[in-house]
Amino acid sequence: MSTNVTTTQVMTAPVADLVARPTTMRSARGLAHRGIQNIRRLPSAFFPAMAMPVFTMIAFAGTFAAITRLPGFPTDRSVNWFMPLGICFGAAFSGIGLGFSTIRDIETRFYDRLLMSPAPRRSLIIGPLLTAWVRVAILCAFVIPMGMLLGVRFTSGLLGLFTLVVAAVGVSTISLGWGLGLAFRFRDMRGAAVMQLTMFVVLYLSSAQMPLPLMRGWLHNVARINPTTNILRLAREGLVLKTSPDYMSWSNTWGGLLAIAGMATLTLVFARRGLDKLDK
Amino acid sequence: MNSFSSSHADPIVAQNLVRYFGDVKAVDGINITVKTGEIFGFLGPNGAGKSTAVRMLTTLLRPTSGTATVAGFDVAKHPDEVRRRIGVALQDAAIDPLMTGTELLRLQAVLYGIPQAQMKNRASELLERVGLTAAADRRVGTYSGGMRRRLDLALALIHQPTVLFLDEPTTGLDPMSRMSLWEEVRRLNNEGTTVMLTTQYLEEADQLADRIAIIDAGKIVREGKPQDLKAGVGFPTLLITVPSDQTERAKAVLATFGDMRPTAEGSLGVGLRGGANVVTDVVRKLDEASVRVQHLEINEPSLDDVFAEATGHRLEGAKA
Repeated sequence: MSTNVTTTQVMTAPVADLVARPTTMRSARGLAHRGIQNIRRLPSAFFPAMAMPVFTMIAFAGTFAAITRLPGFPTDRSVNWFMPLGICFGAAFSGIGLGFSTIRDIETRFYDRLLMSPAPRRSLIIGPLLTAWVRVAILCAFVIPMGMLLGVRFTSGLLGLFTLVVAAVGVSTISLGWGLGLAFRFRDMRGAAVMQLTMFVVLYLSSAQMPLPLMRGWLHNVARINPTTNILRLAREGLVLKTSPDYMSWSNTWGGLLAIAGMATLTLVFARRGLDKLDK
Repeated sequence: MNSFSSSHADPIVAQNLVRYFGDVKAVDGINITVKTGEIFGFLGPNGAGKSTAVRMLTTLLRPTSGTATVAGFDVAKHPDEVRRRIGVALQDAAIDPLMTGTELLRLQAVLYGIPQAQMKNRASELLERVGLTAAADRRVGTYSGGMRRRLDLALALIHQPTVLFLDEPTTGLDPMSRMSLWEEVRRLNNEGTTVMLTTQYLEEADQLADRIAIIDAGKIVREGKPQDLKAGVGFPTLLITVPSDQTERAKAVLATFGDMRPTAEGSLGVGLRGGANVVTDVVRKLDEASVRVQHLEINEPSLDDVFAEATGHRLEGAKA
């Protein structure tokens, strides 16, 4: 590459050439650092991601306590069923919350500063992704102990905790890609409404509230093909009864991992293409 | 010729640059050449296309057609190479109010690949340079407009760019802050930085720019050194105010002394062919025509006259 710089460039840009080229991971870490700082400085923006899982867990587990008496229900504790749902909701909010932040940055033109920098474009996606994962870590560190106080029991020990966290990280990755992609396309708060609506639709048209075998009609058909059902199965497999067909096994795991990989790839590509269109 | 080479030695060259937004042609085939070490002023009213042109030159917008090279690199083909070499302070200081000045400078340093070991010193140097050392650890949300602009300038300088774009850098600033920013721009220019400055303030362009381009409705209507452009207008302008019922009589008198010029509503202007020496003759003739002059002033040609002559209207906000 050294031959690629002509005399013209050397004459016009002597100082900039002394500066190292920014790397993807360093730029991404810098952006993630900003995102994490903003959790502390603007807690109201992070509050829904924390409040939603707690609300879901407490309200649903209490209201639908009798659900565990249904024949074939995979757990005897409603809180075991609803805590993973709450965490997946919170993880989704963590991801799309960063979509909201990106819209705010675009509207206030802070994003122009990022776009005008020579930081590799992928760092503008990886940075928020690292932030989303930190948010999920905070979420899990808060909600899981609270769930355990309310009676949650991991029937497969630490492995169950691990699959739950993997599912949460996966959901946050998918929702971040979706949130960023919409933010880059709408560039204003109209995108936020679409982010929330689609997230609720995708999550509720799955086995969010009821195990797939107990669902009937069109909802069953939709939930069966909704990849979110596989992710929720992954999240719950360490919390259901050992006698349940949904208990921890490879066959209950790979579908969730595949769903995460597929949906995350699609949404992150959606985000990247949106980013590339921002200058049009 | 290799992939990064350019035929242009000048730091900013735009050729027939066009940008549409839907059916609206915001920039209509502009051609600009900015020489190394120049301060180039881009002067025009709101909505003339200045900011759109700058956004294209700074890689934020893709041109609909035409080409532009900045620091020797094509903005569409090698945007990353352009970004490494330019500093930009945009019209609305794009800074996160939740962050402190130091944090923003450090983030900017990371995004420009400045080594960790140099970051702290560079940030301190710049904060001192723009007079923000005392406020460095305060959140930017607590800064005044002038402080934000100065921080924005510091952010644009973090990587010691060779070309600096300043988009309306003093809009909304008080006179003191404006003068202080002008001084800083001059200092940067003396250190060798090429500056492209967009402004709607005539005085700013006149004071700072070595050369200016006047843009109106997306087109460059005049380009040159301020003094040459003003000299091109020729005669001084005589401005008078008369009662509204005497306007037509006054116009008839003034027209005998030169070409009528566009003015703000309520006054009349004429480019005096005979120069300032004929003012007494004008007053006498107006008196003979029973025109009562309420106010009279004579102005040497200004950039506003250049603008008016080129476009047929006065620059919005010119007297601000």
